[in-house]
Amino acid sequence: MEGILFPHGVVEGREGLKEYQARGGYGALAKAVKSNPEDIVKEVGDAGLRGRGGAGFPTGKKWSFTRECPEHPRYLVLNGGEDEPGSKKDRMLMEHLPHLVIEGVILSAYAIGASKAYLYINANYETAIRSMTDALTEAENASYWGEAVLGSSFKVDIEITPAPHNYVAGEDTAALEVIEGKKPWPRQKPPFPVTVGLFGKPTAVNNVETLANVPPIILHGAEWYRRFGTAESSGTMIFSLNDDVNHPGIYELPFGTPLRYLIEECGGGIKSGKKIKAIMPAAPSSAFLPADKIDTRLDHNSMREAGSGLGCGVVRLIGEGTCIVEEVLKISEFFTVESCGQCPACRMETNTLTSLLKKVQQGQGGQPILEQFGKILAFNKGKGFCNLIAMPGPPIESALRLFPADFEAHLATGKCPADN
Amino acid sequence: MKTLCLVCQNVDCKNRGSEQIMAELQKRVEAKGLADVEVKPYMCFGACQEGPNVVLYPEKNWYAGVKVDDLDEITARLGGGPHVQRLDTIDSSLKELIYQLLDTGVF
Repeated sequence: MEGILFPHGVVEGREGLKEYQARGGYGALAKAVKSNPEDIVKEVGDAGLRGRGGAGFPTGKKWSFTRECPEHPRYLVLNGGEDEPGSKKDRMLMEHLPHLVIEGVILSAYAIGASKAYLYINANYETAIRSMTDALTEAENASYWGEAVLGSSFKVDIEITPAPHNYVAGEDTAALEVIEGKKPWPRQKPPFPVTVGLFGKPTAVNNVETLANVPPIILHGAEWYRRFGTAESSGTMIFSLNDDVNHPGIYELPFGTPLRYLIEECGGGIKSGKKIKAIMPAAPSSAFLPADKIDTRLDHNSMREAGSGLGCGVVRLIGEGTCIVEEVLKISEFFTVESCGQCPACRMETNTLTSLLKKVQQGQGGQPILEQFGKILAFNKGKGFCNLIAMPGPPIESALRLFPADFEAHLATGKCPADN
Repeated sequence: MKTLCLVCQNVDCKNRGSEQIMAELQKRVEAKGLADVEVKPYMCFGACQEGPNVVLYPEKNWYAGVKVDDLDEITARLGGGPHVQRLDTIDSSLKELIYQLLDTGVF
């Protein structure tokens, strides 16, 4: 299927400057520096571009908020922390299409009036960092960034900051802390980075895939972009499939494509050959969907109506015979380990949920224990600096609602009902 | 059942001295020969700003901001003495939540 970011599917190797230019690369930048930055913000807003890092926030709005702040300097941060387990789309973009990402960065810096952009890239992504470093050199030599971009009065400096490899380090304010030389701990919000961000100045923090969508939008226009996807989720999204399908990989699909197409046509179906028991459309923090929701469309509204979310597009399949209690315990343990520990409520919540699930797993506590999950989650709702505190809720609550038999079997026998 | 003397050992409470509190409680319980009392670490009661926190169960007595000077009174309570009212400062909704958890056996 033809994509916006990968027009000919995922290619091998790094696309060099000449190859990128040959397919219109940096044409959007040439067009942009002759227009007003406000027009670039408007075009991206009109295109309906939404963030691809997980929250789906409208990019045009984020840029407008940053621009409206009178303080200078302003900063742009490319968030390539990509710590979501199983996500590899940002790595693939930076490895294979570094110039597309860099052009997106420069365009975005121009749009918000940023004089400096930081590329915050997962330190484990050695190939991606090398690829981006080489492409930055090529782009600077071609006058795409630095002093007087393409002979205009716009100047922007770009620097790479390696991102620590832990879950909260990918949170936008944790990224700002790292760039400022501190440990990756999320900040209390508000204030949001758009007003008080890097070094206390207005900052737009955008995901890699989000910014990769900017050059095609500026080159071809918002109307063209809106031909892909749905009215409220325009464009395409890159989905990551892992070892639970026959053909793991990343797949760029227009929003609104049925989940079944991604799983069966792209992924080649579930690897175990078993019937699908549950689908996690945004592992590990989304609600489970039952197998009969496989025809749900992959867009923000459809997923919300079905009871889950899109996140950053890591789709996981759970086969029949797999115990959901064991699955949510692994998820809960993940969040317990990854909680940075600075917010008491998050520490308490993640530790307690894991303890409760272990009790269920061991068949202790009886039915009353199942009532504690909702109470703990409700007690901690809205607390904590970042969103990690809200993440164990959807998988646990949906598991309890959709698969009560798995919990009851554990409580009754102390044994796992799974056949594997 | 044994009385559990649960002492929070999470980061904030530890920073406020809960390791010493637990060790001292252990010593005093042994010195008094309170065989039906078990002093145990607890992961977090969710009241970190008010720590160190000590909870007696099944008595459901919650003592916040515990200092070494308070331990004689708490040890006396463990031996059947009066509740240490002045250290009972935690909001009742949090208490209810934690006591329900303890009732389900999450120690």
